[in-house]
Amino acid sequence: MDCPLYLRSINTGNVNSYNVTNSYNSITNVNKVPADGNPEIMRWLSPLDPGRRHQDVRTDRLDGAGNWLLETSEFREWRGGEGGVDKAVLFCYGNPGVGKTYLR
Amino acid sequence: MTRNISSLVIDNLCDGPCEADIAIAMFYCDFRDQQQQTATDIIGAILKQLVVRGEVLENVQGVFEKARKEVGGRGLRLPDMVQMLKQAISTLPQVFICIDALDECLPKYLVELLGSLKDILEGLPSVRIFVTGRPQVETEISRYFATSVIVPISPKAHDIKGYLEKKLELDTEPDAMSDALRADILRMIPEKISV
Repeated sequence: MDCPLYLRSINTGNVNSYNVTNSYNSITNVNKVPADGNPEIMRWLSPLDPGRRHQDVRTDRLDGAGNWLLETSEFREWRGGEGGVDKAVLFCYGNPGVGKTYLR
Repeated sequence: MTRNISSLVIDNLCDGPCEADIAIAMFYCDFRDQQQQTATDIIGAILKQLVVRGEVLENVQGVFEKARKEVGGRGLRLPDMVQMLKQAISTLPQVFICIDALDECLPKYLVELLGSLKDILEGLPSVRIFVTGRPQVETEISRYFATSVIVPISPKAHDIKGYLEKKLELDTEPDAMSDALRADILRMIPEKISV
């Protein structure tokens, strides 16, 4: 069975996606807050909409490319929460001109 | 390059085991939107993604109502935003924050952003932060996060070849290119730019 993606609820950028989000939350959360009226709060928090950008990037992404990173011990340990606060930040750097822009 | 890696990491986190109660927030810095991508709005955009959680929304709504009654309802400053994000994170079991292409952030916003993330990290062991950028950003990263884990991303010949094949498939005029040229492209470019 597929895991319901928490991300899908993020991408919509509004709170009307409660049904999806709820798969990760307790049922009680849904009824606490009315879904309408929230767009105003969302705009107040930030005019930026990162979810849409993510959809564009992942649509364009080549299957399998970069998978090696997910297999590294650095990534696995970071994801698994090993090393505590000291190892809480994972920084991946790449040179400009090695990616899409260069190849286009 | 980092954009693809970032989206891959985000999807990997999202596809994790169903039983893991994790929240994921991300942001893609973009030089085309540099002026709009202030530290305050980036932190706000991260918070926005956590607000879909009922427990977070309740607190944010409280601050919002209060602010509305005060100075015209606007005017969230960076410290307010960071405070709200910290509060939000403290109610969640585990939070992953992913920020792509830090070098595309204006320098003045970058230092504010990194300072804010450091602040957030200090009191909250449940946060994990994934960031990408060009090598130059490493100095900044190390200044704020002395013990961060650093991984270089280098293009793999196999990945590049796959990318080129995909692009060639989408060529609207495939007959304009000879098989020899196609073969040369697929051989030479990966060789030249991979490690």
